[in-house]
Amino acid sequence: MILRYASRELLAHPLRTLLAIGGVAVASAMLLDMLMLGGGLSTSFSELLTVRGYELRVSPRGTLPLDTDVTLRNAEALVSELRARDEVAGVAPVLAANALLETDDEPVRVFALGVDPDEQGVYTIREGAAPRAAGQLLVGAEAAEELGLEVGASAHLTAGGGLRVGRGIGERFEVVGIADFVYASTGERSVAMDLDALARLAGRDGQISFAMLRVPPGQDPEAAAASLSVVFPDVEIASAAELVEKAQRRLSYFRQLALILGTVSLVVTALLVGTIMAVSINDRYRTIAVLRAIGISRRSVLVTLAAEGLLLVTLAALTGLILGAFIARYLESILADFPGLPEAIRFFVFQPRQTLQAFLALLAAGAVAVAIPAWRAAGLPIARTLHEEEM
Amino acid sequence: MPVLVEPRLARVARLQTGDPLRVSGPGEPGGCPAVVAGVFDPLADPARLAADRPRVLLHLPHLAGLTGRRDEVDRFSVRLRADGSDTDVAAKLGAILPGAQALPTATVSERSSTTFAVVSRFHRAIALITIGAGGVFLACIMTLKVQERRSHVAALRLIGVSRRTLLGWVIAEAAVVAVLGGVLGLGVGAIATAIINAYYRGVYETTLAFAMVTPETIWLAIALAVVLGLAAGVIAAFHLLSRDALEEVER
Repeated sequence: MILRYASRELLAHPLRTLLAIGGVAVASAMLLDMLMLGGGLSTSFSELLTVRGYELRVSPRGTLPLDTDVTLRNAEALVSELRARDEVAGVAPVLAANALLETDDEPVRVFALGVDPDEQGVYTIREGAAPRAAGQLLVGAEAAEELGLEVGASAHLTAGGGLRVGRGIGERFEVVGIADFVYASTGERSVAMDLDALARLAGRDGQISFAMLRVPPGQDPEAAAASLSVVFPDVEIASAAELVEKAQRRLSYFRQLALILGTVSLVVTALLVGTIMAVSINDRYRTIAVLRAIGISRRSVLVTLAAEGLLLVTLAALTGLILGAFIARYLESILADFPGLPEAIRFFVFQPRQTLQAFLALLAAGAVAVAIPAWRAAGLPIARTLHEEEM
Repeated sequence: MPVLVEPRLARVARLQTGDPLRVSGPGEPGGCPAVVAGVFDPLADPARLAADRPRVLLHLPHLAGLTGRRDEVDRFSVRLRADGSDTDVAAKLGAILPGAQALPTATVSERSSTTFAVVSRFHRAIALITIGAGGVFLACIMTLKVQERRSHVAALRLIGVSRRTLLGWVIAEAAVVAVLGGVLGLGVGAIATAIINAYYRGVYETTLAFAMVTPETIWLAIALAVVLGLAAGVIAAFHLLSRDALEEVER
């Protein structure tokens, strides 16, 4: 009954209702997007870091993996010691280097990774096989397409960076596989080879850039990181959660923006709903006074007007949540070009909990906005209002 | 070995000129004895905003020795003669330096500004959505305002005031509201700009400007306000004038 009355009132002014729904829907969409942006990056980054089952990272002291070109020396001994620990179920050493890849055309810069093919978490083979011997190369799918490389093709690869490349220490490689690289950033041409092959090519024998660690099932990664940090004080051992926190600190701008714009969206929603309901209720003072005069309780009037406002907010919020999903895709496509971040990172991640939070926040803002004019209307002095309205 | 440290590191580590230090290369425990030769003011560089590691400056041979990278450099900066063209020289150097690339400063600047270009595009998209919301809000408010005055407007129509005059009146009112809102928004924007700059300059200890109100921004804001105002006015006016004047007066 209350809902029917509220619907009829909204339908009585279709343009006004439509515009109000439109305005609140855009604000709702913005709120949802900002909630998605606020938590999306950490969720997405956390998922990406652990997607291959490696929960910990070991890097040079004071750095994050691939943060600098500083490497871990005496890598073989370090990896052996790590593998011997009870807290560790597997170690995947990785050496990274910039390299030049020459095919028939101009040499192009590529990002080369040296890995242990039996224990690695940086690529998934799409075609062919993993590089297991010197002279074998795995090429990222995007790079392979761009450079026209197929399994069986050959390419000349030099590494070491800068003028060192001119010293003729390059090698010829055979492409043995095409792969998707988990952590490749947009536009990055990635290749992988055996760890020792890259170490030799880049002049970094016995070095690795970082290592990825798996902990045994049931073991707490945080506790394992803390325990290993005591045993290996000269290296940085971080869990996925710590890395996410550090990445978030660097990208704190987006969290701050999300907080500000999310708050503004709520304020806009409250203002719009409050204004519309105030004007709408003012128009109906006479009707409300008549209803009160024939015995309708103040509580019933209050509930009916509140239901009208909340119905408006609900319709707008539902429209806004759909709109928000489209806007998030648009904004995501812009931020996909953010340099230095893995292509698989998502800034906007849909999560039911955040959607529910956005919906409840909107309802709360709408309820606050409706409460004031509704309370005023329900408390109108009946006789004086009827007299004034007749005048 | 003399070392220059940046102010943040000097403050955090309580370093002063003349203090002894030990500086070590990667994976080299112990390190070499050094002395703080001074505190340097780093150039305001947007590309280093997110960098959380403090910087120290050493003489090139000292760093090369520490890192085991003798006779190596990451890059050169080349100063040209007054009549030199940076693109021509870059092309010539590129041809004679195999495996290296020579880039004009403008190109380096463009490439290192990718982050800011993306953030700028993101801001524009957010602004577009905000303008959409603002436009709908304005149209809604104008519709409410004219609905309040529908009987008054109907009476004006019955005494002979033309639809065109009333249309112009509503549109002009909406445009004035929008422009006033736009000007107010510019004021809020200027205050927000000052707050943003003060906050982020403090956070990042830099003199960089993070937000700026430029003449282009001002004109764009005013122009958008006028366009949105006119559009909202047209919607509200047609809604108002589409009703029958006699019916409105009777109501």
